Amino acid sequence: MSIVQQSDADQARDAVSTDGSTPPPVARPPRRRALLRFAKQQPFGLAALILITCFVVMAALCPWLAPYDPLEQHRGSIMLPPSPEHLMGTDDLGRDVLSRTLYGARTSLLVAVFTMMLGGVVGILLGTVSGYFGGSWVDTIIQRVMDTLMAIPSIVLLLFVAALLGPSIRNTVIALSLLVVPQFNRVTRGEMLRIREETFVEAARAIGCSPWRILTRYGLPNLLAPLFVLGSLVFAGMMIAESALSFLGIGTPPPTPSWGRMLSEGSASLEIAPWIAFYPGLALSVSVLAFNLLGDAMRDFLDPKQHR
Amino acid sequence: MIGYAIRRTLYGLLVLFLITTFVFVVLRLIPGDVVRLQLADAPGVTQAQVDALAAELGLDQPVFTQFWSFISGAVTGDLGTSFETRLPVTEMIVERLPATLELGLLAIMFSVVLGVPLGIISAIRHNSFLDQSLRLVSVAGISVPNFWLALLLITYLSIWFGWSQPLVYAAPWENLGTNLAIMAIPALALGTSAMAAVSRMLRSSMLEVTQSNFVRTVRSRGAPERLVILKHAGRNSILPVFTLLGLQFGNILGGTVILESIFSIPGMGSLIFTSVQMRDYPVVLGCVIFYGAVFIFVNLLVDLVYAVIDPRIRYS
Amino acid sequence: MTLSATLDSRSQGQEQAPLLQVTDLVKHFPVGGGLLRKESPPVRAVDGVSFSLGRGETLGLVGESGSGKSTLGRLVLRLLDPTAGSVVFDGQDITTSRQSQVKPLRRRMQLIFQDPVSSFNPRMTIEELLLEPMVVHGIGTPTERKRRCVELLDQVGLASSALAKYPHQFSGGQAQRIGIARALTTDPELLVCDEAVSALDVSIQAQVLNLLKSIQQEQGISFLFIAHDLNVVRYISDRVCVMYLGKLAEVGGSDQIMAEPRHPYTQALIRSIPAVTASSSRVERIPLQGEIPNPSRPPAGCTFHTRCPLRFDACDQDVPTLHERDGSLVACHLYRPEASA
Repeated sequence: MSIVQQSDADQARDAVSTDGSTPPPVARPPRRRALLRFAKQQPFGLAALILITCFVVMAALCPWLAPYDPLEQHRGSIMLPPSPEHLMGTDDLGRDVLSRTLYGARTSLLVAVFTMMLGGVVGILLGTVSGYFGGSWVDTIIQRVMDTLMAIPSIVLLLFVAALLGPSIRNTVIALSLLVVPQFNRVTRGEMLRIREETFVEAARAIGCSPWRILTRYGLPNLLAPLFVLGSLVFAGMMIAESALSFLGIGTPPPTPSWGRMLSEGSASLEIAPWIAFYPGLALSVSVLAFNLLGDAMRDFLDPKQHR
Repeated sequence: MIGYAIRRTLYGLLVLFLITTFVFVVLRLIPGDVVRLQLADAPGVTQAQVDALAAELGLDQPVFTQFWSFISGAVTGDLGTSFETRLPVTEMIVERLPATLELGLLAIMFSVVLGVPLGIISAIRHNSFLDQSLRLVSVAGISVPNFWLALLLITYLSIWFGWSQPLVYAAPWENLGTNLAIMAIPALALGTSAMAAVSRMLRSSMLEVTQSNFVRTVRSRGAPERLVILKHAGRNSILPVFTLLGLQFGNILGGTVILESIFSIPGMGSLIFTSVQMRDYPVVLGCVIFYGAVFIFVNLLVDLVYAVIDPRIRYS
Repeated sequence: MTLSATLDSRSQGQEQAPLLQVTDLVKHFPVGGGLLRKESPPVRAVDGVSFSLGRGETLGLVGESGSGKSTLGRLVLRLLDPTAGSVVFDGQDITTSRQSQVKPLRRRMQLIFQDPVSSFNPRMTIEELLLEPMVVHGIGTPTERKRRCVELLDQVGLASSALAKYPHQFSGGQAQRIGIARALTTDPELLVCDEAVSALDVSIQAQVLNLLKSIQQEQGISFLFIAHDLNVVRYISDRVCVMYLGKLAEVGGSDQIMAEPRHPYTQALIRSIPAVTASSSRVERIPLQGEIPNPSRPPAGCTFHTRCPLRFDACDQDVPTLHERDGSLVACHLYRPEASA
């Protein structure tokens, strides 16, 4: 009689829907093994985590890992191709590209971390306020300001603010934060509005939970997951944006090694010494890829329905 | 529907006004006198000369008066005069606009032409090895910075194939071949991340639609999977892609700044970049407002078309 | 008077005050408004409802979707603030008291949801879900709480192995049993069941209804049982309130209402029950047409007149009030007592 083929999900549901007194024996995955489960379900996510760990180690230990001083100019060895002595070659001033790339990881990481801290905190705060007072004038004002910031193409906004403030790491962080705030604000606000309407929040109120308990036990745990996902993706975006600014010469000031600046320095001698621009670009792309993959993997992993 | 269009347009204008205010205020907040900075290189400048120049540029007026005169000018299309060239800003923007528009449109075309088929293939064969590889490729496409990709393309096209770009820019109406030869690489580099984003979005929205009840009904009648995805799911899953393209347009506009500088394309991007370096504030102001206006306009258009296409949307 | 007796409580001989006394309760929801948009008239979800609920009594509340019955349930628990009127729970007016004053009362009144799974925080295990009400109200020691969880699961017919699982791992019927167990953790005196069985299969509906009934008999809990299915309501209720567009259309003993519905709306509802159609020969076969009107623009006069097969002139203008008729209360001009009017 039944022509309609049931999907796997349906069959799984039907299997447990016999309303007997004994529930089906499905073991609860212990919470502390969440990382293990993540590694098992999301191979790309695991790879990304490993890459990010390497990246952080590179940034933290670069004084010990780097074979040369990143600023030291070796007069006799200008634009040498990669060799056992200089694994990634040397640049037009005779500096070791490998050492500079390692130190560039540190710059990149520092800028992104500080940006996430500044922009993330402000954005989450504004988003929480906005979502809590959803629909009131406070919400309206915050949203208009965010819409304004988001309506200017990001590089144009960065260029504008960074150029006015002058090139320094601090100013780069400030300028980049302007891009981060609206993103965190939007997601936090949306999640707050959504969670506020959830039946389980009403159930919590019916039980007698205080607003504080509802916020901490129901709001935050359900809010953190999307924020982690967003954080990972935004982190990747900030690394690109930082290097774009440095590429344009208004981000990290010289001679601090920065991937973006190394790219622009290398672009002058692409055809004779492509390695100068190639390796820092590769390091940048792989790091960004790792954060994007991690974000994707976390989104799939944290999705309670876990379809697809 | 018309009421919705009017409301959205008014809201767009409000955001544009807020952008103008924001940029104007920030410009006035910067430390350092614009006139002095501009005259700093010239030795032996007297106070009288500085005052004269300030008066000529209208900088001796109170900030609010300056803002008002700028706004009233902007409404009639007058965005002020460049400090550097003494040309009207509007004229400079109009002169630079075609190259940027061409670059942006080429990038969008590239992203759609490649992104849509990739997304559909991924959705049809989802969870296959091909799908997994395509997914990885699209994450990579989003991750590779466009300026590095552009540099790689220049380098290796030249090293491996001996192909290099024409050195002098030509407008499409002057020499279409030269123009396209110059535009090809930046458009490719610029469109890559949009392409990856399009294919990802299309894949996931298609999978969402194919898991919905109405598609299940179509399947139950025995329609082949390929037909289900292309005919029934296609129309419904293309809508989010459309919105995505509107948003990606912002990224592409921003990307033109860097790529035009690399490739010496005389567009808006290189205009705003040089103006920022020269501290030519009227041009910077005009460009930022113009970028905002284009972005707002494109997204307004997307929303309106969306409302026409999707009959479910009721805007009271 | 008989009127107040029917309205107020099941047993005439009962001396003590009812557990719950609802008087002229009104809830309006504002609609729209804002920049460039006209503010629409508010939705009159609940528009002047009075009833009372005795201890250990089950009051059924029926009506189509959109009749305001769920809103009424939320108002009774003060999950929504009423626009006007009062709710008195065990002698205490909870309509105006602060939320902090309501909190101790929450222990004594609980809500059972239509969709139990969505009423559980997806990130909490069944054990955490069952413990929470006791933790919030500071009931018992950790060991006692844990023992209570197992007891409760046993009471609703689930094994203690369920404790370690997450809500989405259960079927609808099982989840509703957990929902019932959760509502019982604090030994409440009032349970509001909002469409508690509507989402379940018929066979499972019966199981859950029997469970609720036995719990009530054992513990003497008062039930406010909200449903759109008259069959379900009749099965479990002592008295039934029929609600239409935010107002009570008819109130009476559940057997009496099923046997002799007065209000044309109640008659129509009873006719719509397939199983009863054959036996309800006393009722004329007049189909109920159209849909429930927009509650922000209710019809003038009797709100049911747009769909009423027995409409006459007075219905368009005068708002009918509840009047006693042979033991039940009806808000319909057909039964208007001429003498007292």
